[in-house]
Amino acid sequence: MYVDDEQDNLFGFKATLRFHYQVFTAIDVTQAIAHLDANPDIRIVFSDQRMPEQTGIDFFEAIRVSHPLPVRILITAYTDVESVIDAINKGNIFRYIKKPWEESDLFSAIEEANRFYVTNSLLTVKHDELQKAYNELNKFAYSITHDIRGPISGLMGAIDVARDISDINEVKEMLYLMEKSLKKLDMYVINMNDYYSLQRGELVIDEIDFNEIFEECASLFEVIAKVNKVTFKMNVNQNEIFRSDKVLIKMIIHNLLSNAFKYQDESKTEKAVEASVEIMNGSATITVKDSGIGILGNHIGEIFNLFYRATSQNVGSGFGLYNVKTALLKLNGHIEVASVMNQGTTFKVILPSI
Amino acid sequence: MNLAFIIIDDSELDCFIAKKIIQQNDKSTKVATFTDAISALRQINDNTDIHSNLLTIILLDLRLPIMSGFEFVEEFERLPVNVRSKYVIYVLSSSMNKNDKSRVDSNENIIKMLDKPLTKTSFDVIMSEVGARKI
Repeated sequence: MYVDDEQDNLFGFKATLRFHYQVFTAIDVTQAIAHLDANPDIRIVFSDQRMPEQTGIDFFEAIRVSHPLPVRILITAYTDVESVIDAINKGNIFRYIKKPWEESDLFSAIEEANRFYVTNSLLTVKHDELQKAYNELNKFAYSITHDIRGPISGLMGAIDVARDISDINEVKEMLYLMEKSLKKLDMYVINMNDYYSLQRGELVIDEIDFNEIFEECASLFEVIAKVNKVTFKMNVNQNEIFRSDKVLIKMIIHNLLSNAFKYQDESKTEKAVEASVEIMNGSATITVKDSGIGILGNHIGEIFNLFYRATSQNVGSGFGLYNVKTALLKLNGHIEVASVMNQGTTFKVILPSI
Repeated sequence: MNLAFIIIDDSELDCFIAKKIIQQNDKSTKVATFTDAISALRQINDNTDIHSNLLTIILLDLRLPIMSGFEFVEEFERLPVNVRSKYVIYVLSSSMNKNDKSRVDSNENIIKMLDKPLTKTSFDVIMSEVGARKI
């Protein structure tokens, strides 16, 4: 983009560059900022120094804060060397070009500025990735003391207490609680493995037969349904080819189903879980509906966060839905949640065929 | 014993252990256990059946779903003085996090942080510190 109060200069600039680049021109600062707002992919901003309402240097100083990404180049005919040097030193401009300009100067400035822009953008992306990794590492370090050391200390404490218990029923009760605690630890490790493979793993795209996946899930969950007296229904409607990553899809369905069974309301006599999938126009809609305890409205926004748990009921690790969200991000899908406290929750996953 | 206990911990095993340790010392000690902080707070607020005129020691875990241990303490601080004065809070946590430790140390409503689960040794520490206290 080029900002200059003289229309002739703008024409000349555009004429020189329009076959090589996408060029925006602006007659004043207001128009320039409107361009920047509307086109966040503008990489290089040229500005004239002497303009009636604001100097080029002042304009750059302002957009350095509001639009930090584009590389800033000053074009000036005047010999305001002092202010140009000052602006370069403050980091407000990348370089300056003398007016009237030589075409070769423009092209070489653009080439160099573009290289600078690309390097900077890559650095920003890497920086964000690193920041995210650090944040998750911190969460991990914190959760390890609670989710791994917690159960271990608990078991050691239990062994210690057991030495002084003579009532066999009390010992049995404690064994039951110890088993529960170990199961939770075991699930934590399994989920952590899912988490790791999700972060590092590559996608393997294959034709997906949802009948096969649902049958596999059915054999697993029908046992749980029977033991907990939950009515369990599954329905597959697939008449077209669907391509995606099988392992991730299985993981998503498995997590949603296991939540649906886990967060049932024990006080209800009619407990139900319904899972269905419908494939239409290259898109799969998976719905998992339960008659469980529901999620409080103000917790719904947080349930997909790593290590977040919205209830003290049952053995949540705080990994499950986070893994689902990460998998969906990889598969270009999304998820919707509808929940009514004490009535149940419905998760709806929409996935495109890849 | 002129003491009662409230245990707040989402691990049922740790609740069970703490209760056993306390009652191995004196079988008649009243112990209430909660797997979440909100129900515990509600009980303290209503203060109906909970050991109304006994000094009550709260053993509080930090990492709890929905309302964390620290959030519990913040809510506790809003209770009227005549209610608060009947309680003392110990944090029982497996956390080795320095922030947690310094937050506990700087909070005047928490006596100190002890490693989880409760052991005979840590129970004796609590008893020597508050056992003789009266409301």
